[in-house]
Amino acid sequence: MLTPYARGIETTRELDMTSLPLARRRRGRQVLRNTAIGWSFLLPNFAGFVVLTLVPVALLFYYAFTSWNVFGGAEWTGLENVRQMLHDASFRTALRNTLYYTVFHIPLTLVAALALALLLNQRLRGVAFFRTVAFFPYITSIVALAQVWNMLFSPGYGPINAFLRGVGVANPPGWTTSADWSMPSVIIVGTWREMGYYMLLFLAGLQTIPAQLYEAAKVDGANSWQRFRAVTLPGLRPTTFFVVVMLTIGSFKVFDVILVMTNGGPGQSTLVLSQYIYQKGFVENQFGYASTISIALFLICFVVTVVQFLINRRGSDS
Amino acid sequence: MKRSLAAVLGATAAISLVLAGCSSGDDDEGSAGGPQTLTLAGWSFATTPEFKTLADGFHATHPDVTVELKEYDAANYDTQMVADLAAGKAPDIYAQKTLKNFYTYQNGKQLVDVSDVAAALGDKVGGIANYQADGKTYAIPYRQDSWVLYYNKTLFAKAGVKIPDGTWTWDDYATASKELTAKLGGPKGDYEHIWQSTVQGFALAQTQGASIESGNFGYLKPYYDRVLALQNAGAQVKFGDATTNNLTYQAQFGKQQAAMMVMGSWYVATLLKQQGSGDADKFDWGFAPAPQLDKSTTGPNATPVTFGDPTGLGINPKIGKGKEATAKAFLQYAAGPDGAKALAGIGITPADTEAVKDTFFQLQGVPQDDLSKFAFTKHDTKPENPVSKYTAALQNILSDLHTAVMSGSKGVDAAITEAQDRAKNEVLNK
Repeated sequence: MLTPYARGIETTRELDMTSLPLARRRRGRQVLRNTAIGWSFLLPNFAGFVVLTLVPVALLFYYAFTSWNVFGGAEWTGLENVRQMLHDASFRTALRNTLYYTVFHIPLTLVAALALALLLNQRLRGVAFFRTVAFFPYITSIVALAQVWNMLFSPGYGPINAFLRGVGVANPPGWTTSADWSMPSVIIVGTWREMGYYMLLFLAGLQTIPAQLYEAAKVDGANSWQRFRAVTLPGLRPTTFFVVVMLTIGSFKVFDVILVMTNGGPGQSTLVLSQYIYQKGFVENQFGYASTISIALFLICFVVTVVQFLINRRGSDS
Repeated sequence: MKRSLAAVLGATAAISLVLAGCSSGDDDEGSAGGPQTLTLAGWSFATTPEFKTLADGFHATHPDVTVELKEYDAANYDTQMVADLAAGKAPDIYAQKTLKNFYTYQNGKQLVDVSDVAAALGDKVGGIANYQADGKTYAIPYRQDSWVLYYNKTLFAKAGVKIPDGTWTWDDYATASKELTAKLGGPKGDYEHIWQSTVQGFALAQTQGASIESGNFGYLKPYYDRVLALQNAGAQVKFGDATTNNLTYQAQFGKQQAAMMVMGSWYVATLLKQQGSGDADKFDWGFAPAPQLDKSTTGPNATPVTFGDPTGLGINPKIGKGKEATAKAFLQYAAGPDGAKALAGIGITPADTEAVKDTFFQLQGVPQDDLSKFAFTKHDTKPENPVSKYTAALQNILSDLHTAVMSGSKGVDAAITEAQDRAKNEVLNK
């Protein structure tokens, strides 16, 4: 069966010279119509993207070099915002906290998601139920999650500290109410929330590994660890790469978990870049400076992702 | 095929029309005379009845003017208002929910000069000076809340502790709180809500020479030391437990978990309502002037110093010229004696308290003792957020200080030093 386009070419070939202009015109009309159909499918989404994302992002690069409090025009200030950012101790704190979150959140989530996927890839009774359970945190409202976790973490009355005291810990941590423990608390919740989603990606990846490879490995006498190292991990390589890239960008942009759990506190102990942008922009109405920090965050994400792509390409070449 | 193409194009057109509809501007309607409609912005109408009271009251005296209300989210009021003003879609009259953002609106030229309304009202209206810049007035306060000390007379009697008598300093308050805690064996002596203002508002208002804009925050220290001592003595719920469990001050005082609480005068109306609906226990209560820094401002002959931001009404410059005079008449009504009486009738503290004392204390359930009446009418109320271009940014720094100190993550001195450094580097010398 030929596609309509190919059939069009076939019919043209059969025509004699006299009717050629007519056919060409008909074909032209068909191309036009196909283009129009394509555009009409794209347009609703594309128009939204242009109006709500592309234009604001482009404007961001302009506002980053201005002083603008939303009303009236933005005043061009050149590199003033960049200079301010480089001397801003709170920006450095936010950057440090973001890196802290990222460095722990990525490997923890990766390992937890992979372990869950391997576990739930077995033939178990009720595996569908457990997969749903693992995925559930991801689709639950973050506000509700934060509320419940905050109660669990509550230093005086929370069940976590009650348990710790029960097993003999004299001074259990203050969790979200202590500057030292607030970041680990948020990392725990962030990891717990997202591992179900990445588990799903790993599960999908596991289905693509041919069963014959495992059989061959078994015949060669490989034990389960060796099968994991030599078959599963290389087979999951594209999935792992995708997961790492998504996790990296997600970690740098972390916002909602922190906003609802600690609001950056106590003090500035969990202040991250996205929240600092929100604070400068929407609380203090310094939209110019907030744009500058947004660009810094964008550049960080961009550079890290490019590096990851380069490493991945070199890895797949070898 | 053709039909589906037409359908897709039709749907696309419909969506673009809907999108375009979102941004259609209002018509500049009406000139003086003839029926007019004003729009008024407010928040949480279910629990904040004052906007409807003012709208209905104004309509009663000006039958050809209808005031339409537009509801905003209380927590994000300023963010949404800034967005609507920037988009040219904000209502004709909008409330200044806090003083913190007044500078943004005024400096951003989003408020009509209403000096003539201020002149007509005279000096009876409390808090009007906060809305002045360069000799002009840009908003008119219609309510002026002040912070007072609420106390549960039933619990005081049960513990056998002497109730506040208007001579209390903070040290008297701390002593009473510890005594109550020990004798009640269950309810705490006091509840300190998690807001930074419960500590910083008083410190700023009561300390001589204290100012946020100075970038010198040493005046906070005695206030924080006292609160931390109360926390450590178990006389109030710990900050971390209050934040992680989302404790509400309404439940802490209303359900008799604490015998005392400092809170704004708006809580009178809330407590009356909740005692009626059963959301709060039924007990005997009263309110006293807020505890003072020293004895010089206590007693019946002195004026106690407290804090509170006025709530004002401003006019959107995009209002049609024909409607500006009507909008000014509305502001004058809201801040004048008629508006004040209407507000007092629903338990709200208007900007002119002396004029409405009788109305307010006639409300069912309002405490009738002399000290409550004294606390309602006599106070020197300093602004929580003195207006300046730095206020919003400095308050954010002070908020970080508050959470760090109250959670015990940082010592008071270290936190103050850090906040001063940040204030200098990030805000004042920027």
